[in-house]
Amino acid sequence: MVKLRDVTFSYNGKKALRKISFSLREGDFVGVVGPNGSGKSTLLKIIDGILVPHEGEVLFKEKPVQKYDRKSLARKIAFVPQNFNLDFEFTVEEVVEMGRYSRKGRWEKFSPSSLMEKMGISDLKHRFFPELSGGERQKVILAQSLAQEPELLLLDEPASHLDVSYQLKLFDFLRELNKEGLTILCVIHDLNLALLYFDELIMLSEGEIVASGKSDKVLTPERIESTYGIRAYIHRHAGRTFLTFSPKLRGKRKEKIHLICGGGSGSFLMRELAERGFSVSLGVVNALDSDEVLGRELGLTMAVEAPFSSITEEAFKHNLELIEQSELVILTRVPFGPGNLKNVEAAVEALKKGKKLWVVGKDLKERDFTGKATEMLTSVEGVVFFESEKEVVKELEKGV
Amino acid sequence: MRSKWIFIFLVFLFFFLSFFFSVSFGPAAISIREIGKVLIQGEVEGNPASVIFWQIRMPRVLLAFIVGASLSIAGAILQGLFLNPLADPYVTGVSSGAALGATVAFFFNLSPIPWLSFFALMGGFFTLLFVYSLARRRGFVSVYVLLLAGVAVSSFFSALVSVLMVKSGKDLHALVYWLLGSFSGRGWMELKISLIVLPFLFIPFFFIDELNILLQGEERALELGVEVERVKKILFFIASFLTAVAVSASGVIGFIGLVVPHLSRLLLGPDHKKVLFLSLFLGASLMGLSDLLARVAFAPSEMPVGVVTSFFGAPFFLYLLKRRGS
Repeated sequence: MVKLRDVTFSYNGKKALRKISFSLREGDFVGVVGPNGSGKSTLLKIIDGILVPHEGEVLFKEKPVQKYDRKSLARKIAFVPQNFNLDFEFTVEEVVEMGRYSRKGRWEKFSPSSLMEKMGISDLKHRFFPELSGGERQKVILAQSLAQEPELLLLDEPASHLDVSYQLKLFDFLRELNKEGLTILCVIHDLNLALLYFDELIMLSEGEIVASGKSDKVLTPERIESTYGIRAYIHRHAGRTFLTFSPKLRGKRKEKIHLICGGGSGSFLMRELAERGFSVSLGVVNALDSDEVLGRELGLTMAVEAPFSSITEEAFKHNLELIEQSELVILTRVPFGPGNLKNVEAAVEALKKGKKLWVVGKDLKERDFTGKATEMLTSVEGVVFFESEKEVVKELEKGV
Repeated sequence: MRSKWIFIFLVFLFFFLSFFFSVSFGPAAISIREIGKVLIQGEVEGNPASVIFWQIRMPRVLLAFIVGASLSIAGAILQGLFLNPLADPYVTGVSSGAALGATVAFFFNLSPIPWLSFFALMGGFFTLLFVYSLARRRGFVSVYVLLLAGVAVSSFFSALVSVLMVKSGKDLHALVYWLLGSFSGRGWMELKISLIVLPFLFIPFFFIDELNILLQGEERALELGVEVERVKKILFFIASFLTAVAVSASGVIGFIGLVVPHLSRLLLGPDHKKVLFLSLFLGASLMGLSDLLARVAFAPSEMPVGVVTSFFGAPFFLYLLKRRGS
């Protein structure tokens, strides 16, 4: 349906797109991702013939878009901008009707009621466009574009002003339109929404396509790191894949810190410390325990025990090795039972080896189901107790 | 729906009343009864009332109506295209070009009809071409450059007009009178020339959709299927032509082209279907009434009509601005 061949475009000498080639087939539902200024909007405007490429060509149904007159192109391709200014008091109904321009004769009336009903914006009908909120405007702009009854719909971040519920509704609605036969190419900022809704993605960076294809193949942590300059982590939860991000580390890694945790008690510190550039290790955690899962996603070194098992001698030794390599050991707010008593032992061992030992939570007794752990930790000297994880972070910011 | 027809009726009523008052009153008192008789009989030679009515008032009033409608339609178009409510028919510099043309004709002692009008028209036309070519780049016309170039060219031409006036060493009364705008002494001849604008008053009604869509910006208009460059070219030409003819017929009459489209928008909203309709009738009526006032206020001497429109138009415009701000 659409074919771009070696399309190059620059704004005042600054290249916005370099040698872009790709094609869309009828019925495609493709997202475009990429950092700000990577050329996403430019790409859409080139396909809609509003910008003329300096090199290369854009074909729509085998014919260069520049060869279409604007009216017949508007019947085939509709563009949904992020926003536009209209400071004059037209009603929403009138604004939507303007979208019909390419299909209706002069002085002919077009009633957009059924379209507005389908989109759930009938209640806005008689409101004045300039008085709408950003989110309402985006819906009206989409309605205006759909009044063109296009074959190809280009959207430029259509959800940027919508709240989360409308974002999902919007993409569900787009998917429905796609099933009815509309081809869709959509610039989208939110990478998680991109993963959730789009089967195929194109990733742009500095005017070039750096990846395209199946969404989960495009949005890999490595590629996100190289194009966006942030760290990304992939999580799988309840059958879905989603991403979380943290800023890229600047400068050298800081001190090594070992966390003794389990059951999710270490998650907060794990992430905070890793993002602050500390080299973090864990131990002993059970495989598939939530701390272990997160540790794996963050790529941390860990002493791991089999699922739901007591800590064996082997894992205990591994834990001690990790402690040996670190400067600070933090025992998180974990409940103590017979299965993980060896972790308390390791903590005390760390103190003996001259490592600093910090313990989170002063409520030891309430968490102690062995009767021994509290005694072990309070009988030795040098343990520093903290009220909360946040205090630990605050202390660390002063330097270890 | 009903209120719409009532409104349209009121507009027509105002239009006809304005026309009736304009032809009925003047320095020479003609009673209403006589007016009716004269109107029905047509021109009767030897009857002073009939001659005054048909030879002096009728063409003058008709010309005022046409000029008022032309300036208002031109203003409505340009305010829409520039997305700027402060635009008026004179922003493109066409009027100053016309004024320069007229001054040149005056300088060389050419007769007012047809030469002064012709020079004014040509002055306006070439100014338009000049400003337009400045704003044109790679096939696109930038409305901002057009606006700024228009302002610059206007002041340059005003300077030239002043130089010519100083250099002429003649009695400038007639020229100043012309520059301020006046319908004084205009007859059937001038009216016939100005009839050339009639089709151009109605062509904009074919571009209602385009004018409305262009309020969303040129890019959005392209996306929705409007041939923006062609539409702009046609509408600029029409607005400039209307302005040039109006100026060549009656000089530079201020504020009508600025205030009337505003007033129309205030009354019925921004839809150009209504803005153009109202501008056409209100512009004509208000210009007729202004000229009436110019004739009778200090009778038997006459004021330039441009003074009347500015006297009422400027405060009214300030009132509009204040209202908008609150």
